[in-house]
Amino acid sequence: MKNGFIFLLGLFTAIALSWAGIVLGTHAQLGALTPYYDDTEGKSFPERTTGIAASGQLVYADLGCAACHTQQVRRPDYGSDQARGWGERQSVARDYIHQSLPQLGASRLGPDLANLAGRKPSAPDAEDLLKLLYAGSLTHPPYKFLFEQKSIVGESSARALRLTGNLAPAPGHEVVPSDRALALVGYLLSLNTAYDYPESLPATPPAAGHAPDTKQEAKK
Amino acid sequence: MTNDSTHAATAEVTAIDTQARVPLTLLLAAGLIWLVISGVLGVITSIQLHTPGFLADCSFLTAGRAQAMRETSFLYGWIANTGLAVVLWVLGRLGGSPLRALNWTVAGTIFWNLGLAVGLVGIGLGDMTSFASFQLPRYVGVLMLFAYAAIALPGVLAWSGRRSHGLFASHWYGVAALFLFPWLFSAAQLVLLWSPMRGTLQAVAGGWYTQSLWSLWLAPLALTGAYYIVPKVAGRLMPSYDFAPLGFWTLIFIGGWTGGRHLVGGPVPAWIPTMAVVACTMMLFHYILVGLNLRIASQAGGTAIKFIRFGLVAYVLTGTLDALTSFRVIAVETQFTFMATALEQLGVYAGISMMLFGALYYMLPRLTGRPWASAALTTGHRVLVSFGVVLLVATLAVAGWTQGSDLLDSKLALGEIFNRLRVPLMVGTAAQIALVAANLLLVVNFFRSACVCCATSTPSETPFRQPSALEAHAS
Repeated sequence: MKNGFIFLLGLFTAIALSWAGIVLGTHAQLGALTPYYDDTEGKSFPERTTGIAASGQLVYADLGCAACHTQQVRRPDYGSDQARGWGERQSVARDYIHQSLPQLGASRLGPDLANLAGRKPSAPDAEDLLKLLYAGSLTHPPYKFLFEQKSIVGESSARALRLTGNLAPAPGHEVVPSDRALALVGYLLSLNTAYDYPESLPATPPAAGHAPDTKQEAKK
Repeated sequence: MTNDSTHAATAEVTAIDTQARVPLTLLLAAGLIWLVISGVLGVITSIQLHTPGFLADCSFLTAGRAQAMRETSFLYGWIANTGLAVVLWVLGRLGGSPLRALNWTVAGTIFWNLGLAVGLVGIGLGDMTSFASFQLPRYVGVLMLFAYAAIALPGVLAWSGRRSHGLFASHWYGVAALFLFPWLFSAAQLVLLWSPMRGTLQAVAGGWYTQSLWSLWLAPLALTGAYYIVPKVAGRLMPSYDFAPLGFWTLIFIGGWTGGRHLVGGPVPAWIPTMAVVACTMMLFHYILVGLNLRIASQAGGTAIKFIRFGLVAYVLTGTLDALTSFRVIAVETQFTFMATALEQLGVYAGISMMLFGALYYMLPRLTGRPWASAALTTGHRVLVSFGVVLLVATLAVAGWTQGSDLLDSKLALGEIFNRLRVPLMVGTAAQIALVAANLLLVVNFFRSACVCCATSTPSETPFRQPSALEAHAS
């Protein structure tokens, strides 16, 4: 390795190859992925994200929620994602095509949120989520800066949180979620992977007697 | 510490070193300040892990933002500044003449650190991107690139204008680190921030960047110093040196392909994680060859070598564990847990940073022409930082393993899993505090050593010697 030019060329080739292979390769494979049109339902999936969900995703990203929450359900026989009720099926690339900042995440200190609004038997509603954001829990930090505590002038706000016990604001005051909090909750409630794409079904036919998979079969 | 290579009385000081004193000391000082800042942020994030309410009211320091700031200041503050100082110094010595255009380095250092500070404030205000080790907001990217080019310029000039025709192992790693980062960084800026790819392809490109940053920049920065210093201090030719090119090119060619390591089972094409398994396994050649080349570190002594030896063991261990945890059977247990954090800390703290500490201890007396101000502080730093980093990685690994097996048991609620993690995570906080304390010792020692030299006149310069001829001789 005496020739500096050839050395530099080698460096450049190395980085260009892995770049082309991984980044351009997957782009060629999935860059043109389209929504899936379902004849029986008469519409395409995934559905377009609403404005509030799109702005809520920005809040989710800027607060760094992905530091503790993932949004990717793995296939039923890999890990306990399905058994924990995080999703009936694995997440596929098509689920994310309308999202500007997909938040796959890499840590599960908190639960997976890919299918938060579609959880069975009971998905959380807006009030549950707002209360969790305001008050926190043993495992979740309270984000009080997303809320405003103000004195009630005239009629109390329709948005105000119904808080009881030691969380209740001082008499004559109310806790009102900010626009950011409402957008974040709107986004969380839009996370739903209920629709089954052809590619989201398990690749190999599940073995008989395998409890989670037979459930999936029965559903089809 | 009579026969210590960090002692300037026994060290050779050349004109190359004295010329570069101010610019390189500035880079090192900037690196150390960021190290302490990221250490304090490390304590905060580590408390937030077991006590979620801690500082949660402060929107500047939500767990996600504090974590992003900690990682960014560590990688782009501490490792970048210190690593570049080491690379410039080594390239200057191997080039055989004093570094040229060092004013550019000074200007670049100022703007790089200014850009980083603006970027960190931006993260605190909510402008972070959502990609691991790439959280700096979009608006500082271009500034950082230009500042980087200015810092690196003297290194490039020293390499292209070198007196000897050969290229040594530390040349390869140094030049690779200087050249590859701008390509990586701008390629990632392009497809993630300026013209974002669609959907989960962002995660693939983000993974490519994170892994390439490790193998094409962080590792070469540290190995430049290790390949230069170890044979010099050991006073021996490097064993199995014929294999060193293979080790180098394995790292450079295969490194980027490990990009899908964290996407096992994710919503990306299945060949991406499979390719990562293959690439991580092939990378073992690199780690084994580095271990073979630098095994002479075990037969030498001195502060610098003790740090580098620690770093090398951790580096090889990181490669091995990376390969193991990329396999699907093991990843099902370790994915999404603190095991990933443990491996990251093993790599960047116990591996890269310890090697950089070694290079720093070796370099500063040669730059200033004086020994380190306090041998006690040096020993104190070494003992405390080694203790802290071992404790940190061990507790995170224990936490990660419990968390992994608990997550697989679907009957165990997340709250319960969290309760079982609290004790190891609290020990982790103790480790972070030990690390901050250790690094404060280093900072005090550094500024005392560097300032003593500023206050007195320049030390007498020994006649210039061809440094490349010294590569394999004892200092």
